Amino acid sequence: MKPVFFDPHQRATVEAAMARIIPTDETPGAREAGTIDFLDRYLSGLDHIYAKPDGSGFETLQGRRADAWQQRLDIVRDKYRHGIDELDRRGRAGFGAAFADLTGSQQDDLLAGMETGGGELETAETVAAWSPVETPLQQTSVEIDLDFLPLLALHTRQGFYADPIYGGNRDRIGWEVIGFPGPASLAEVHTGRYTVLSYFAEPGTEEHHGA
Amino acid sequence: MARKAKPERADVCIIGAGASGAAAAKVLTERGLGVVGLERGPWRTKETFGGDELANVNRYNLWPDPLLNPRTVRTSADEEARIELFCPVPQMVGGGTVHWQGWLPRFTENDFRPRTVIGDLPGATLADWSITYADLEPYYDKVEWAFGVSGAAGANVYESPRTRGYPCPPMPMSRYAKKFHAGCAALGYNSFPTPQAALSRPFNGRPATVVSAFAQQHGDPTGTRSSALNVFIPDAVATGRYDLRPDSYVRELTVDALGRVASAVYADADGDLVEQEADVFVLACGAVESARLLLLSRSGRYPNGLANGSDLVGRNVTFHEYSAAVGLFDDPIYAWAGGGYVSASSFQFYEHDDSRGFASGGHIACAGVGIPLPINWSLPDRPLWGPEAKRMDREYFNHSMAVAMVVHDMPQHDNRVDLDEKVTDAWGLPAARITLTPHPNDLAMGRWLIDRNAEILDAAGAHKTYRVYIDRITGNCSHQHGTTRMGDDPETSVLDRDCRAHEVDNLFVVDGGPFPTATGANPTLTIMANAWRVAERIADGHSAPGR
Repeated sequence: MKPVFFDPHQRATVEAAMARIIPTDETPGAREAGTIDFLDRYLSGLDHIYAKPDGSGFETLQGRRADAWQQRLDIVRDKYRHGIDELDRRGRAGFGAAFADLTGSQQDDLLAGMETGGGELETAETVAAWSPVETPLQQTSVEIDLDFLPLLALHTRQGFYADPIYGGNRDRIGWEVIGFPGPASLAEVHTGRYTVLSYFAEPGTEEHHGA
Repeated sequence: MARKAKPERADVCIIGAGASGAAAAKVLTERGLGVVGLERGPWRTKETFGGDELANVNRYNLWPDPLLNPRTVRTSADEEARIELFCPVPQMVGGGTVHWQGWLPRFTENDFRPRTVIGDLPGATLADWSITYADLEPYYDKVEWAFGVSGAAGANVYESPRTRGYPCPPMPMSRYAKKFHAGCAALGYNSFPTPQAALSRPFNGRPATVVSAFAQQHGDPTGTRSSALNVFIPDAVATGRYDLRPDSYVRELTVDALGRVASAVYADADGDLVEQEADVFVLACGAVESARLLLLSRSGRYPNGLANGSDLVGRNVTFHEYSAAVGLFDDPIYAWAGGGYVSASSFQFYEHDDSRGFASGGHIACAGVGIPLPINWSLPDRPLWGPEAKRMDREYFNHSMAVAMVVHDMPQHDNRVDLDEKVTDAWGLPAARITLTPHPNDLAMGRWLIDRNAEILDAAGAHKTYRVYIDRITGNCSHQHGTTRMGDDPETSVLDRDCRAHEVDNLFVVDGGPFPTATGANPTLTIMANAWRVAERIADGHSAPGR
């Protein structure tokens, strides 16, 4: 896994913030799952946007699709550059040091301050209906519309729970934390070998039908 | 753009190859007509689908990319529209059925006469349909048997008469469905296994559906779910008379001197313009995009858009809105298993009941909360980040389920689809602009149904429930209807009862656009049944003497 977007300071800053978003407690957190690797790979360019469905590599984007992804990446990269600067600015103003050098509780204070606004960042409008913070239902957010902290939280969740092929969820840590019996690889799903029938219904009751 | 040579004239040109377009293609080609299908998206095979929530849900592998296909939304004509991913549907061969789990309840007899049953509802444009349940019943049957729908006839005590049962028994009962049945039974409500676009057993040469965790909002790499892509498209192709052209984006319908549609002009995969002529044109783009194409097709004869002399194209649009009560249980229920939508349903609150204080009602059913992972879900009191958010993911993932509903939103004249004046898509065409304010009835119904859903979860033994009320229509449901109303009066409808444009006698619309009302049930079974019915009419007419 070669980081190719963040410089070492940016990487340390984002990794520290991610470790507060999904902290390590009695179970592993973002740091152990390598969510920073997931994000760094995503931001590195167009080569890891879509895994091939059989897990054999990644799709090559072309044409309008590639143009759209380049546009999206440019916006998201810009949000990270500014967001990291803002974390450091707040760290120095509040505690006299860059974000990555602060204690966990100091970092929490700063993230909480950014979540509630404070008006320091230029904010993009959040598309509420598609924001995972607003609904328990299954809609995705339009990430280029998210402010920095919701965006970072979304990417941390993605890096924790998405298929390991994307560089996070190292050793399936995210799945183990929540008890998801995920497939051994994308190929397992692709070939139809992956089933979860034993979780779906209690053994022996599969033939019972509804009232 | 270069212009390519005209291809051979077709009997019928169908624009769109999703649920309705594919159903029409199957029927027309099997009746012996030559059909050209123009689909703006790709023709993907099962080998291109996989169990990848990040790609499928977050990165627009299946959903339309809003940077390429923007829509804009506003609540009234006085407001500046903003870009939102409103009511998206996968744009590819198979359409929304590519990534659905396919809840396929039939509408009921009263769904076709809402104005009669409900009466006048101020602010709403309720109208009886110009067809009845009995008109559609044979076509419901045809679609159910083509798909091999798994269900139990008679289990829903509120269902309308059917000529025969389902071709396959219900899917195995999931743990979450069992909870739902238990909650309904405790409260004295009828419940039934949700009729599904899946095979509980091998059917018609197809194997039983694989029970994966990646189903709802994922394509099906096994090809074992029932969809337009897996059923109607192969049937149509097998006739040798279906020339399906993917990556073919229709920009305009042209008209001849008589005011009939002469051709569909589309950009092909190379970006070149192609003009396809046909005797008959069928729009099957989804209610939003079909209205958009009609409005894009302006001409001297139709300055307000094709078939839009009534100014009704795009109006009375309805979208449903998906919301739910969510319950937490002590015992694990794994409500992501099977994709989370192998479900149980109730029509207990489906029919109109004056005593509730609002009009109509809706289908409720149980579902998972994730699709399957906690990337794209949350609960109202879950923080955005930190130890508590992690704790909730960990403790609730295997222990939470939803009882969901779609709001039967009321049609209103000023709720509409038209063309945005500023925003264009990646092909340079004006984006669809949605202008929409919910009717008070929509919000009242939503609140009432969510309360009932929470009570069912309580009765099933949930130790905690969340009630997620809707406060606006966000377009989170993919269902879309009403933009080309069918009816008998050209003053109050765009299409006649056979879904032929009143003003243009070789133009038909077969998606959800013809539906005068949204109803409270998932629309796609009815969309496909109606497309089948209309296709039979087209075939009858095409072979009639004198043509």
